[in-house]
Amino acid sequence: MGTWIVGLIVLALAGAALRSIWKDKKAGKTCGSCSGCSGSCCDCKPRK
Amino acid sequence: MSVRIALAGNPNSGKTTLFNALTGSNQFVGNWPGVTVEKKEGKLKGYPDVTVMDLPGIYSLSPYTLEEVVARNYLLGEHPDVILNIVDGTNLERNLYLTTQLMELGIPVVMAVNMLDIVEKNGDQIYIDKLSEQLGCKAIQISALKGKGIKEAADLAVRAVSQKQAVVHKFDKKVEEALSDIESALGNEIPEDQKRFFAIKLFERDDKIAGQMKKVPDVESIIAKVEESMDDDSESIITNERYVYISSVIGKCLKKAKRGELSLSDKIDQIVTNRFLALPIFAIVMWIVYYISVTSVGTIATDWTNDVLFGEIIPPAIENVLVSVGCAEWLQGLILDGIVGGVGAVLGFVPQMLVLFLFLAFLESCGYMARIAFIMDRIFRKFGLSGKSFIPMLIGTGCGVPGVMASRTIENDRDRKMTIMTTTFVPCGAKLPIIALIAGALFGGASWVAPSAYFVGIGAIICSGIILKKTKMFAGDPAPFVMELPAYHMPTVGNVLRSMWERGWSFIKKAGTIILLSAIVLWFLQGYGFGPDGFGAVELEDSILAAIGNTFAWVFTPLGWTQGGEGWKMAVAAVTGLIAKENVVTTFGILFGFAEVAEDGVEIWGNLAGCMTAAAGYSFLVFNLLCAPCFAAMGAIKREMNNAKWFWFAIGYQCGLAYCVSLIIYQIGTLLSGGQVNILGLIVAALMIAAFIWLLLRPNRDDGKLRVNMKGMAGA
Repeated sequence: MGTWIVGLIVLALAGAALRSIWKDKKAGKTCGSCSGCSGSCCDCKPRK
Repeated sequence: MSVRIALAGNPNSGKTTLFNALTGSNQFVGNWPGVTVEKKEGKLKGYPDVTVMDLPGIYSLSPYTLEEVVARNYLLGEHPDVILNIVDGTNLERNLYLTTQLMELGIPVVMAVNMLDIVEKNGDQIYIDKLSEQLGCKAIQISALKGKGIKEAADLAVRAVSQKQAVVHKFDKKVEEALSDIESALGNEIPEDQKRFFAIKLFERDDKIAGQMKKVPDVESIIAKVEESMDDDSESIITNERYVYISSVIGKCLKKAKRGELSLSDKIDQIVTNRFLALPIFAIVMWIVYYISVTSVGTIATDWTNDVLFGEIIPPAIENVLVSVGCAEWLQGLILDGIVGGVGAVLGFVPQMLVLFLFLAFLESCGYMARIAFIMDRIFRKFGLSGKSFIPMLIGTGCGVPGVMASRTIENDRDRKMTIMTTTFVPCGAKLPIIALIAGALFGGASWVAPSAYFVGIGAIICSGIILKKTKMFAGDPAPFVMELPAYHMPTVGNVLRSMWERGWSFIKKAGTIILLSAIVLWFLQGYGFGPDGFGAVELEDSILAAIGNTFAWVFTPLGWTQGGEGWKMAVAAVTGLIAKENVVTTFGILFGFAEVAEDGVEIWGNLAGCMTAAAGYSFLVFNLLCAPCFAAMGAIKREMNNAKWFWFAIGYQCGLAYCVSLIIYQIGTLLSGGQVNILGLIVAALMIAAFIWLLLRPNRDDGKLRVNMKGMAGA
């Protein structure tokens, strides 16, 4: 039983991590570390 | 009614600071020009219907740079309801040049004269009512940094929406007549209130304005007539007239307390940017920053995090919980060895990074980083790059992605491509754990290792500049570097702490997402494989990861990563670093079982030291610093290059350079340290050194031809 509960918690954690990466990617945030971000990576658009 | 306010002004006039104050946003603010390269949008606090647009800093509406194109296209195409023109009060004359152009767009303009605090400190006086009257727009004095006059400026802008912008400034009679003729020739396609702007741009022969028009009238004869009578080219006529007008406005509206005297910033610059002292001061500053953050203060905090938090507190606590709930052993292994070992190995470096980010934020905010670009220009220019290339590298110290994107401020395409290729050589925040790990594990925490990584990055950029500039692809003189040095000021505590936290938080967030998933995958790959009884749990040496690592570990043999038969671990770590550079440390954390031995820091690093010599360790460090960056940064390179061939050339060059330099470091390092020398490796290293020297010193055959090209480019 303990294994199932802990396993589900780990799965939920991994799912949340995947969701966060997917959300960032969808929002155009390719940069996981936006330190020093000049704004461009919050609104990543291909160079025209 | 929805209202759109556009913030426009010169670079480093405080637009983003004002934008953050108006909207409550958290956009990055830097005390150097060119921080904002794309427009940003936010809602005005307390006004849900009012949108504020932060435009990149521009000196004029002539589209010479990408930022100017972005700003001009927005103002002409989107036609915001009002322009809030931010003007640096300490440098009125230069800032008003843009103002005179903004007034011609047919959009209401409200002027916010910023840096009131510095103006007052200097004892200068700006007669704001007179300025407003002279320019024909509402004007207000503000201090975006201190939050003075911000609300009033926003209210003024909202109220100005329905007003019509009058053009007070008139050019010479002959010019006005010509503009009037051009306006008549424009027809109905251009809105009435934008006709004057289009007429001026056509008069200046701005070829890019044609792109905004369906039909371009032939006005050459009108222009030629004015040029002949005024004996100057049309663009210079307009520029001169603007400056004459600005001088008359300044004469009436500004009283300088210390005319001609050196300001405190000027006095500091006499030392900090001195021809002989600048570089040693820069080296000392960087050494102090890295010494405190990586070697002394940062290490104390990191040791505590590694040894106590992730050694004595978290793993035993989690283990107790897992045992008490009867969790299976394999799942305990996943959590303790995989997740806690892997993610903990990265999180252990957070204190060091926070200290480093605190210093970098201070240096950026106070204005010293802008001086470094100026100092580096003198050096970079000799090697074919301009100081403008240093700004992306500076931003790249935090993260390579915005660093690569900041290369957009470079006008010359070849300089820009070279900057994109070399920006990620400067250690980003994610590489700091690798530096700290190697410094601690193989060099006893020596204080020179961390700053040396920084200088290896700069050295690689300089050498790349020399080598690549001698090729046909990159040849040519670097573009001239003109950069305004902002006045030094004491940064606010809030600004510095916010900048530090933003960088630190993104690092922590990455540990909880990409690193966590990588740790789970790595744990599985290192614990499972095909054993005598088929697929299942196996010893590390028989795991899938070992099999994968062993297939390409031989590639790194000349780099010395095969000590003790554990070379595949280094190879795997370097490859997982391509997902995210923090993964290098995570991989070691899992492969060397950091979670199990975390009670003793020496023991943790001892495992690593047991399979690498100091020379091999430094070669490993340099390889990871210079080789292709993480996937996110590679994506940014691909986007900015906008060409698959250039992208692969950049990645190939980075990996090739990293391999050659690491090989030389290992082979020569082993020889000098009296280790076991491999003759063949030594010969290859000697040949590589000879090739490097030849590439660095060979004559530049394309030099003359390129100058012609450069002229052609300038004319285009």
